[in-house]
Amino acid sequence: MVGAAACPEDRVVTRKPSAGSLAEASGRDALVAEFVESWRGLEGDAWIVRGGRDEVRRTIVEAARIMVEDGGPATSCRVLAWSTADLASLDLPGLLAQQGWEHVPWPTGARAGEAAAGTNGAAAAGDVPGAEEVTRTQAELVTLAAASDLGITTCAWAVAETGTIALYATPATGRLPSLLPTAHLALVRPSQVVRTVPDGLRLLAEYMAREGDPPSAVNLVSGPSRSADIEGDLAVGVHGPRRAGVIIGEW
Amino acid sequence: MPGELPPAGATWPERRRRALADPAMRAAVAKSTRSLAVKKEAVFATYPAAEAMRKRAVIARRGSLARVDALLDELTRRVEARGGHVVRAAGPADVGRYVLDVARRRGVQRVVKSKSMATEEIALNEQLENAGLHVRETDLGEYIIQLAGERPAHILVPASHKTRQQVRALFDEEAAACAVDPPVGDATPELTAFARRQLRADFLAADMGISGGNFLVAETGTLVLITNEGNGRMTTSLPRVHIAVVGIDKIVATWADLADLLQQPALSGTGQRLSTYTTFITGPRREGELDGPEEFHLVLLDNGRHELLGTEFVDILACIRCGACLNVCPVFRTIGGQAYGSMYSGPIGVVLTPLLGGLERAPELPKSACALCYACADACPMEIDLPRHILALRRTEVERGMEPWSDRLTFELWGRFWANPAGFRFTGRIARLGQRVYVRDGRLKGAPGLVGGWTATRNAPPLARESFHEWWARRRAPRTGS
Repeated sequence: MVGAAACPEDRVVTRKPSAGSLAEASGRDALVAEFVESWRGLEGDAWIVRGGRDEVRRTIVEAARIMVEDGGPATSCRVLAWSTADLASLDLPGLLAQQGWEHVPWPTGARAGEAAAGTNGAAAAGDVPGAEEVTRTQAELVTLAAASDLGITTCAWAVAETGTIALYATPATGRLPSLLPTAHLALVRPSQVVRTVPDGLRLLAEYMAREGDPPSAVNLVSGPSRSADIEGDLAVGVHGPRRAGVIIGEW
Repeated sequence: MPGELPPAGATWPERRRRALADPAMRAAVAKSTRSLAVKKEAVFATYPAAEAMRKRAVIARRGSLARVDALLDELTRRVEARGGHVVRAAGPADVGRYVLDVARRRGVQRVVKSKSMATEEIALNEQLENAGLHVRETDLGEYIIQLAGERPAHILVPASHKTRQQVRALFDEEAAACAVDPPVGDATPELTAFARRQLRADFLAADMGISGGNFLVAETGTLVLITNEGNGRMTTSLPRVHIAVVGIDKIVATWADLADLLQQPALSGTGQRLSTYTTFITGPRREGELDGPEEFHLVLLDNGRHELLGTEFVDILACIRCGACLNVCPVFRTIGGQAYGSMYSGPIGVVLTPLLGGLERAPELPKSACALCYACADACPMEIDLPRHILALRRTEVERGMEPWSDRLTFELWGRFWANPAGFRFTGRIARLGQRVYVRDGRLKGAPGLVGGWTATRNAPPLARESFHEWWARRRAPRTGS
């Protein structure tokens, strides 16, 4: 009834383009747009960056301000970031130092570079500047991560239909940076966005075929933590990061 | 081997009476179940891929159940090859012994748990607490239930029967006990903030994390854990030991099977396309990794499941614990989860509780907690024929002579009289004579036996002075004569 009232009789009906032509015309952009819409629908923050590396760096600062301080000045901010070559090209230590913020690189353990090759869209971490080989106990790392304001990671792939990012656990790409800091920010390249969850799992299957095994842990994250346990009322951020953000762009 | 479930606690009449006398709980349950059922309808209507995926998922699940033993062997080999430990547990005591053994060996004192029906089923918390371990449920709803000393009232939203005022009172009490600041108010963000702070401390102090599992992928030995809150991630990432307790029915053969199944709990349970956090765990942390558990143990729980393979009830093992059948069940909406006296409530509980724990433990469930409306059969994403199973269990009860003699006599006589027209007409005449004493203001009131139970809460009109048969015969009589 509502639908009929909302549609005047002389409404112009435009012919819908077929799925094929739509995909050809704007395939990648449409997937990215769908991913962002899904992610925002799950109370996540999202930024699409078209300008390349410098704009991605500017957006990281903007995202941190919004997610950590709710748009305030964020005078002090501790950032725990994965130590992958992919992220190294963004020079996070320099970027964060300009803001007067603290940069904590995820320490890569022994043989980290070898095991991390080709995961999470990253190359080997072996010769990454700033990724010093630090031996820390898990307890120290947990304390450090829990006291961090922002965790920065990349991802292995993202799903448009469900608003999901996939994080593989490897020595260079630990579990804690996306779990314990107050906010989590993932950098996603447009080429990493697939349409469906099974599409993403096919990429994981390729990884397994290459490496012989799945990673010790794969986390599919669809927005920030949510619960409806109190009177069915939505509560965001019960356990994990209070806010979850993505920046989609090339760098 | 048959399984073992914790006792129901109170008798069925007592549980039923308590539920019906609690309007606040009944309103809360009705509200939450309706809202979940509406969300489920909406997601299937707006997400065309969902239905095709669901159909393939049913086939995947049935196919895996047809060769459980071979798949469990493959899974075990894979997990062990990745440095994990696998153990088969026949029932509650086996699991308790194994977990306590690991705890002792690793000097564990504090345990965090993510929500798991399997561990509810074997009352694991009680076993661990009796041995002196500190156990903390970390799902927000389970945390509330644990503080209240109750059992979950819904598979998905365990505390859906609690009001925010009740939650605040529980948190205030806990704050006093822990000498910390209580929640500043009873708004959801304020209550959530309190729980987050308390549970974060528990996570950081825990030596062992215990989780359940939604699926097990045989071909790689992978545990699949689905949560919305992220407590599953915390439980399996932070403590140095992770133990997963998973029913043997959760096994699937391949990742291709999992691809169709993965979204089903969210689609049918909460109407989401995918739950917020989905974690695939394959063994403990690997060499060079700096976080994640040092030890990974997988406890494969039987507890009466294996016995169901090859019986008419086998499809019950395809259940993915989404709660969709609870949300559409008129009985569940009326009495809530706790009246079932089992961690498995609603239609799935009516079938699973007697199948796992024995029909003697819960004869009232198939008999009384179902109106045979078939809503659950429509709602179940795995196409489990719950009403058929409920009827089969009723039949078994009758065959075993489990119902009281008064029921047996009543139905025996009823069946005998109503099997032919003369008997039917005779009972009508008797009832018309008998009802005279009980008709007040044109209504039947206070009649004995079955009729009394029926009229206690309903208006029933008395039988008419003349039955249709009699009226018809009287009208036709002159014509046939002429």
